[in-house]
Parts: sequence; structure tokens; C-alpha cells
Amino acid sequence: MPLQGMLWPRTVAEATAMLDQDPEAKPLAGGATLVAMMNARVLEPLALVNLARIDELRGIRVLADGALRIGACTRHRETLDCMALSGTTAVLRRAAAQIANATVRNMGTIGGSISFADPGLDYPPAIVAADCSVEIAASHGRRTVPAREFFVDWYTTALEPGEIVTAILVPPPAAGGAAYEKHARVSGDYATASAAVCLAADGKVRAAIGGCGPTPIADPEADALLSADRSDASVARAGALLEARADPLDDVRGSAEYRRLLIPRLLLRAVRRAEADGSRPR
Amino acid sequence: MSSLAMGEVGRAAAQLEGEEKLSGSAQYIADLVRPGLLHGAILQSPHAHARIRGYDVSAARALPGVRAIVTGDDLDASHRMGAFIKDEPAFAKGKVRYVGEIVAAVAADTEAIARAATRLIRVDYDVLPAVLDPESALAPDAPLVHEDAAAYAKVFDAGTSANACSRTDFRTGDIASAWARCDVVVEARYTTQAQAHLSLEPCGALAEIDAAGRITLWSANQSVFRVQACVCESLGLPMTKVRCLTPRVGAGFGNKMEAHVQPAVVLLALKARRAVKLILSREEDFETVRARHPFSIRIKTGAKADGTLVAREMELLLDGGAYGDDSPGVLGYALLMQPGPYRIPHVHGHGRVAYTNKLRFGAFRGFGVPQVTFASETQLDEIAARLAMDPIAVRRKNMLAPGDPWFGGQPIASNGLAECVDTVARESGWEEALAATSTGAAEAHEADPAPAGQRRRRGRGVALSAHISGLLASGAIVRVLEDGSVLLNTGAVDIGQGSNTVLTQICAEALKVPIERVAIASPDTDGSPYNWGTTASRVTYVAGRSVVGAAAEVERKLKEHAGEMLECAPDDLELLPGGKVAIKGVEQRAVTFADISGRAHWAAGGPIIGTHSWVFDQKTFDPKRTAALGLPFSQIGIFSFSALVVEVEVDEATGKVRVLGAWAACDIGRAINPRMATGQIEGAFVQGMGYALFEEMVWDGGRLANPSLMDYKIPTIAELPETLRAYLIESDEPSGPFGAKSVGELGINGVAAAIANAIASATGLRLRRLPMTGERVLRGLLDAGEGRS
Amino acid sequence: MSASIAAAGSPASFVELDVNGQAVAVRASLSTTLLTALRDELHLTAAKRGCNQGVCGACTIRIDGVPMRACLSLAHGCVGSRVATLEGLAADPRMQALQRAFAETGGFQCGFCTPGMLVAAHALLEREADPDEDAIRGALSGNLCRCTGYVKIVAAVLAAASASKGSP
Repeated sequence: MPLQGMLWPRTVAEATAMLDQDPEAKPLAGGATLVAMMNARVLEPLALVNLARIDELRGIRVLADGALRIGACTRHRETLDCMALSGTTAVLRRAAAQIANATVRNMGTIGGSISFADPGLDYPPAIVAADCSVEIAASHGRRTVPAREFFVDWYTTALEPGEIVTAILVPPPAAGGAAYEKHARVSGDYATASAAVCLAADGKVRAAIGGCGPTPIADPEADALLSADRSDASVARAGALLEARADPLDDVRGSAEYRRLLIPRLLLRAVRRAEADGSRPR
Repeated sequence: MSSLAMGEVGRAAAQLEGEEKLSGSAQYIADLVRPGLLHGAILQSPHAHARIRGYDVSAARALPGVRAIVTGDDLDASHRMGAFIKDEPAFAKGKVRYVGEIVAAVAADTEAIARAATRLIRVDYDVLPAVLDPESALAPDAPLVHEDAAAYAKVFDAGTSANACSRTDFRTGDIASAWARCDVVVEARYTTQAQAHLSLEPCGALAEIDAAGRITLWSANQSVFRVQACVCESLGLPMTKVRCLTPRVGAGFGNKMEAHVQPAVVLLALKARRAVKLILSREEDFETVRARHPFSIRIKTGAKADGTLVAREMELLLDGGAYGDDSPGVLGYALLMQPGPYRIPHVHGHGRVAYTNKLRFGAFRGFGVPQVTFASETQLDEIAARLAMDPIAVRRKNMLAPGDPWFGGQPIASNGLAECVDTVARESGWEEALAATSTGAAEAHEADPAPAGQRRRRGRGVALSAHISGLLASGAIVRVLEDGSVLLNTGAVDIGQGSNTVLTQICAEALKVPIERVAIASPDTDGSPYNWGTTASRVTYVAGRSVVGAAAEVERKLKEHAGEMLECAPDDLELLPGGKVAIKGVEQRAVTFADISGRAHWAAGGPIIGTHSWVFDQKTFDPKRTAALGLPFSQIGIFSFSALVVEVEVDEATGKVRVLGAWAACDIGRAINPRMATGQIEGAFVQGMGYALFEEMVWDGGRLANPSLMDYKIPTIAELPETLRAYLIESDEPSGPFGAKSVGELGINGVAAAIANAIASATGLRLRRLPMTGERVLRGLLDAGEGRS
Repeated sequence: MSASIAAAGSPASFVELDVNGQAVAVRASLSTTLLTALRDELHLTAAKRGCNQGVCGACTIRIDGVPMRACLSLAHGCVGSRVATLEGLAADPRMQALQRAFAETGGFQCGFCTPGMLVAAHALLEREADPDEDAIRGALSGNLCRCTGYVKIVAAVLAAASASKGSP
């Protein structure tokens, strides 16, 4: 039965029930993406399920085991200001700080952003590098998906109809450093290409590349190489592995060829910056 | 320069419209409302080139709330407008010539209904093959964008033929023999891109019909008179039937100089018999209106071993888009300015504009000069490099000195170029930087730029340029009101650059009254004297001269009255500050403007009105020195000069270029309002920086691929260089109002060239294509690296 | 679906908003943005439509004290929030100081970006009474200006900050 107008569920269960009831209804978080698409008439929903009043979706909580739970409706500004995202998990703050501009960061949410899954976004490579999971709710229950598996294809995620992202689960912060190296034409643009690197104090490295294919690019072999050896030559080899997995497009931000050239260069820069961040010598 | 009695000229007076703009109450076109207002929307063509076989508006008309629909069937094929070539209908008639062209328009109770109705209009098209670049357009047997091009009325000898919209050729000296006398000759090709104006305010218009059937038209515009002419020519209306007004305008840069939606909106209002307002979306503004011409440039320069320039040839091919618009003017002006501010005895400049099936390209700050300057000022650096001369030294050697004429023979009465060069060289620390990096530069050239290099390399570049202030006609009316205050009316549209304030300052200074005693009327084709437009950097100089002339007539009349009131000859009188006329040397024997005005209104003479009307009349070319074919403007303007030094940092890893510093000096004759003048130079620099480094309209076949601010990026405050300094050089132009020349465009002309020269200084890389994106720079660095041993 | 529903989007209804401290009832359909409601229904035209995509910043207003894009906010989504536009900030002494500084420094030309710029700059000065240039650039990178080249905007915000520092 079709719904109409702006709906204000108070709980996740109410929200998923509404979405089940009317598959045409769309969930609304910050609006930064959805309303822009409505203004451009790319989407013309008759009903919106507004998630803003669902308490459990808001805010960042530290859990008993030290892990962090970022509510899906947490604004970018809150994420970037959250000092509990320290050590390797600071990569999320570095990425949030480069999204668009200060005003849009007051509006956009992490859940809304990753659900849109534009490859030029800043969160996807960051949450992959930080080994986050995405908690998803449906009427029949919840599930958790590793960040890497959440992004499926161009503008396509693991979300099934009637499902919403409820939280991004961040592993307990490990001592170390992080970096998010973004290359864009101007401040605030989507990334032409980006590199997210988490460098733990024990030397373990996780890296992910954004903007160079339908989903963030990560490679366990590349991570292994970097974890063992962070010399220029080793980083170059890791960069080559990541570049081999890349599937970039030509667009106004850059050609596919340029993006391929950028991958190892941004990776090197991100590794060095993560080292400086964690103050760890080579 | 002499100090002035009132101190209004030379003062950084606050913008007159400040309070309304800062409080947010300023009324732009989108803010206006009228009784019974309807809202309009356009339907755009999905095809680059197609014949229109018919329209079916029945579904649209049936939508509740729709009040009027107009299509090409409402137009008469014989009515066409165009600044140089009358080739353009009010909107598409018979054919569509570019994707995005206005095909129909709807007026309805709300914007949402109007837009929905446009989607219900069915247009039957016969798709035609399209030409999407100038070379294809000029090939034999290319599909014709305008079958009747030869028959269109033209204001000059355009040489129109098939898809060749216009052609121009200027020649001085004996270029054929000159090359042999050169010790170094450099030839290269350059390509520049389409740039979008991106005024923050999209285009829009509001038309209202009064009880007598007369049309009142407000629009975002740069000339109420061009709007009037375009609407009347394209709709076949007498000018007396259309009154054009202006609200506050949210910038133009050329985008609003000729028509956009005004003819369609007037037609809707006529059909609906109600007021109609139509505001373009940002995407529609990108796709429908106009943009800066892409240029293909072949340039060849020859010099002697000591750096003296001998010969220059430039050949241009402009993409004109689907309609002529200002293209012939841009071509002609670019060819006039391409030698740069130098003495070059043998010059040949020639070129063509091609019609293509893309949106029309038209006026945009610089009017062709940013494009040719990119080529000429970078080629000059290449010559300097070949001769192992400092780039500034080679420019000093050749630059026009006071007394030298411009290319073609026009005398130059004020020339502050040397002081511009000295200023930027000194302020930027050019000599010191040169000494510091002379060994560094050598290292940079020898070092192997490994693909994973992390260095950020710095370099400096210089560019000199010039621009005119002038063109066509202006008038001014100055009236002394009954209470002795003054009302100024020039017809010049203030698009935000502050011309209202500057012209008021000029008038106040001329009559020696404080600025608060002068009001400036809003441009109105009914009441204002003709002013061609806010373009060609002309308002301060051309309208300013009119203001001075009209004020002089008021002064004469004031003195005639005062002479009778004070019983002396008018020649024995002088104006005193504050609105008084007194006997020279006898201050106490004075009458106020109010006294005089009272007498004029009640006793003798009638209301005091001063007028001035003129057309810029100095010939551009001396026919004894220069052969000109296809000259669109025979009388163009007086010259202003500028020098620009920039410092850049090139990131070897990504190719991205950052401007660290810019020092821009402009010879503007005299700064009427110094703060507004530096504001123009600063704004022009940043707009030029976007043009140089990343702004580019990109086509996917016939469709614009990036018609949105998500995809077309302009500089944000984060891209502002750490140091951006504007210097005003005052060379005192004798023909200018209080010595002033204008400054609106001068600051953009050299930016791309200076940045390109700085990139070359930093990396050795010579780029000949704009924009110089990170990708193009990195590609250039890698190719250069591969080319070395 | 009938064309008239297509035209209107979803049907319009009245929504209660709190704008500049006043409770107002505004006609809005689901797709009506706050920007459209402010401008067309309430005739608060300081906020401008420059792109309708949230990029240019000319529509910047405050919702619950936080700068946001009116074009990316739905009228129906603002129920229960406090909306403040430039018009509503007119009495704020810090805003007045900022406006004076913009006037004296020449931090505007055509003025179209100015309302959004002022709202964003004002929010910065509320958070940071003495921002440096980097902080100003960071706060205003979402407000595009095509006229000024930003130089005098930076100068104006610095001037406003130092003027406010002087006052108790």
C-alpha cells in the first residue's frame, strides 16, 4: 500500500516496517544526497521515511570492548570531531574532514553517504582500510557485513529492499597512525582518486583506494607487502597490485589512465603520512 | 596627478547598494513578484541538429494550471537578432542547432506545473547530421548549421560562407620577407577550452503587459538596450512597445550581455496576457546560454639575437557554436590584441569563426584576449629561453613606450606599462628569485623525475597584456532637482562591479558636491540615454566621459543663472565644494544649487538639465599602415596595460599546480574608486586561475557532459593564493574622466600565460593546451622524462 | 498516473515551521525544499538559489543554530527545528559587525553569494572569536564567489573578528 508524505518512525523497527509496506518509499538521513537527487528529478518519491528521530541511529558510542559504534545518522562534522576515533581509526576522521565543505558536513551522514556508494566518496576507502563492519537492519532482523563486502558495484551496495544501514562498527582503535590522501581538482570536489592507510603500531598496514573503480580497492597481498616492508620499492609493488585490481572510468575529474598513475603515488604519500601520524620510523 | 576639490574621485567609497546586499533585501530577478504572476519553464532540444516537423502541445495545454505555451510556430521566420549577424531567432524555429536550445516555453500557475507541462510537449524531429568541431564544420560538404547564412543581414563585411560565420585578416609590414631577417623563429599550436561564466545568479526574466499592451521587461542583464533590441528584432516589435528595466544583477562576465530567455518570456506574457517570470536552473544556464570561445591557435614569432621582436603571425580558428552572437567581435578583437603590448613591425593576424552544433560562444571577460595571450606570452618566454634572456628583460626591450601606437597605428595617449612591469618585478622579488633558482632550475632539468617523485617544484612566470576601454555609444543626463540635489542617469547597468558608485563619484566630483547629494537612476530604456552595455571594460571610461560632459553642461547652466543672480559674467564664477556657485575669489558672493534651481523652476530658464552623448570615434587602424579585412569594429577604444607575475608550486606526484602568489599591476589611468579597482583585479585573477588550471566544459558527442556545479568546478576560497596583490598604476589618460581608464577585464588576460610560464620555470614543461590540469601536467612530465636519455 | 499528480509531485499540505523565531504555516509538498518555502511562501529572499544542488552555498541558512543548505533541506523535514535566515540574524551584534566589516572592506560585488557567505562567516565567528586565515578558508570553502576573488572576504572576516575583540 503506497505511503505518502514525510514519515517519522521512532525506532528502527518502525522504519523497516514502513519500507516493507511501500517499496517506493525512500529512507531519508541528512538529505545531502537524497534531496539533491530529488531537486534534479533523478528521484521522485511520494513518501520519505525520515530517520532523524531514531535515537539509536545518532551519535558515536564506545562499546564495552573498546570498539566504536557510529550511528548511521551521525553527521560528518561529529565524526570528524570525535577524538575517540584515534590511532588507526583516525582514518575515518581524516576522510570526514575532506568531505565537501563545512556546511555540507553539518548535514551529510555516514549511513546516507555509504548507502549512496558513489566511488568518489571519501568514507568507503576509509572504512575498508579501518576494517569496519556495516550493521544493516531489516524487518526480520539485523546482520553485519564487512565494509569490503558492503560495496558491491557502481552505486550498488549489499542493502536489500527494505533494509537500512543502522551503524558502522569500528574495531577498537589500535595505537598507530592513519592517513587519507585525497586528490581532487578543487577543495570539496569528489575524489579523482584517494588512498586510505591504517598503520598499526605493530607494523600491520591496511590500505584501500577510492575513486578508481566501482568499489574501494583493497588487496590482502598488498597489505601483507606493506606490513612487512614499507620501503619505496615495496610500496611501489603494493601500489602495482592495487592498480592491477583497479577498474577506473574516464570522467571529468580525470581519465582512467590518470587514476591508475595516481594509485601508487597517493599510496606512497598516504603511507608516509600515516608513519608521521603514528610517529613510527621506517 | 592633481588632487581634487571634493575628494570623491580617488576615494574608496562604499558600494551604494551595500546595505541592501548585506541585509539580503536586494531584489534580483528571481526575487521580483508582480500581480497575477505566472511562472515559466523552457523545453530544451535533445538533439544537436534536427529539423522540427511539428509540435503537439495538447497534453501540455490540458494540464491544470497551464496558461500559455509558445513554440516556433509563434515566431515569424524573418525576425532574427544578432549582435553582428542577424542569424538568431527568439528561440528555435524550423530547426534546432544545439542540444539544450530552447524549443518551447510554458507559463503556468507554478514553476512545478510549468516544468511538468514542458515534459508533456511532443516535438517531432528529423534528426540531421551534426558538426561538433570547427575543423569538421569547415570541411567541404559539411552539414550546414545555417543554410541561409549568406543571406542574413550583417553589420560588417563578415565573409560568411557555408559554416564559416566570419573571417578577419589584419596585416602590417611585410611578413613574408620578415622571417628571413630573424635569428630565431618559434612556431607552435595552442588549444584553449570553453569556460562557463558561472555567475552565481542564473539567467532569468520577468515580462508584464500593461493595459495598453505595452511590455515591461525586467531581466538579469548587462544592457537594457541590447535586451530591447534583441527582443524587438526577434519578435518583430517596434522598440516603442518594449520598456526594459533592470533589477539588481548577480554578475554577468558577458553571459548576460546578449539575449537569453527574454524573447521567450515576452512571448509568453503576450500570449497569457499576464506577467510571467522565468528563471533558468543552473543546468539550463550551463546548457542554454553562452560560454567562452574555444580557440585553436597557430602562432609564429621571429626575433633577432638581441631579443628584438621582428615578426608575428597568428592564425585562429574559433568554435562559434550555433549562432554568431559576439563571435565576429571576439575574433576581430583577439587579432587586434594578439601582438601584445610590444613593437612588432611585421604582423599578420588572420582567422575564422566556424558555426558548429553546440551552444553559442560569446562575450566573456577578456573577449578573446585570454586565449591569444596564453599563446603569445608563452611563446615570448620560449624565445627568451632560446636567447638565454630573462623573460622580463626581453619584454622590457620590446614593450610599447609612451608615444608608441598600438598595432595598426592607433595612438596611445597614456601608457603606464613600464611602471606596471617595474612594480610586479619589485614586489614579487623577481630578481632575487631568479638568482636563487638559476642553479636550481638547471638541477630540475637534469634530475630524473621518477614516477613516484614526491617533490613540489616552484617557479615564477610573467605575462604582460593590454585591453581596451571603449566601443560604441553612451549618453548621460544630469538634472538638478528642485532642492538642489542632483540626479544622474546613464543607462549603464551595474552588474555588481560598482559602476553606479563610480559614476556617482565622478558626477559628484565634477559638480563638487558630496556623493550623498547625487542619486543615480536605474537603467530604463524609457528614461535613460542609450548606453551600449556593461562590457568591453567601458563603463568607467565611456559612460564616465558622458557623465563629465553632462555635468559640464549643468555647470555652464548653473553659472548662467548665477551670473544673472549675482550680476556678473559667467566666466567670473566658480563652483565651490558643497553645491554652490560663487564669484571667483569672493566666497561670500555665492548662491546655492537650491537657490539656482528654484529660480530655474519658477522664474527663468526651466529645469536645469545637462546631457552628453557620444560614440567612441578614434579609428583603430590607420589604412596607410595596416590592411584590414573583415574588421568588425572600426573604432574600438583606448588602451590599458597590465603586468602579472605568479609563483606556482607543481606537485610532481600528481601534476597538480597550486598558485602560491600573484602580483598584478594594472595601468588604469586613474583609480576613481581604488578599492573597487583592486576588487576587479583580484576577482579577474581568480577567475583566470580557474580558466588556467581546471575549468573546462566537456562535450559527450553533442551533449554537454558537465552542466552542473558537481562536475564543473570553479575556484573556492581554499584555492586563493596565499599572496594575491593588486597594484593600481595611474598614467592619467587625457581623454578619460578625471584621467581614468576602465579595469573590468584587464586582470584576466595574462593569468593563464603567467601560470604556464611559471610551470615551465618550475619543471621545464611547456604546456600548450588549457586547462593545465594535474593530469595534463603529469602526462607532460612523464613524457618529458621518457624522452630523455 | 495522472499528469496533475506528476505536476505537483505529492499533494501540498500545510507544515508548521519555526522561522526566525516565529511560528509559521507554510504550504509545501513533500519535494518542496526549505529554500523554496522560505523564498516563495514567506518572501524571505535573502537565501538564493544558485545551483539547487548544495554546492554553491548561496542558500546557506541555520537550522537549530547550525549552518546548512536550505536547498538540501525539505520543508516537511524541518518540523520541530528552528530555522534562522540572514533576515532573522539582523539584530545579532556579531552579524552587524560582520556586515559593517564587509561594507568597509568591499567584501562583496554583485552580492548574490553574500547572504550565504555572511551566515557561514557568522557561524565561524560564533565558534571561534579570533580565527586565522586558515580557519576562515576552512569555514567558507563551501561558499562560492565569482566576483571578488575572495581576497576582501578574508579581510572582512578578519576585520570583523578584530572589531569584536575590541568590544567587551
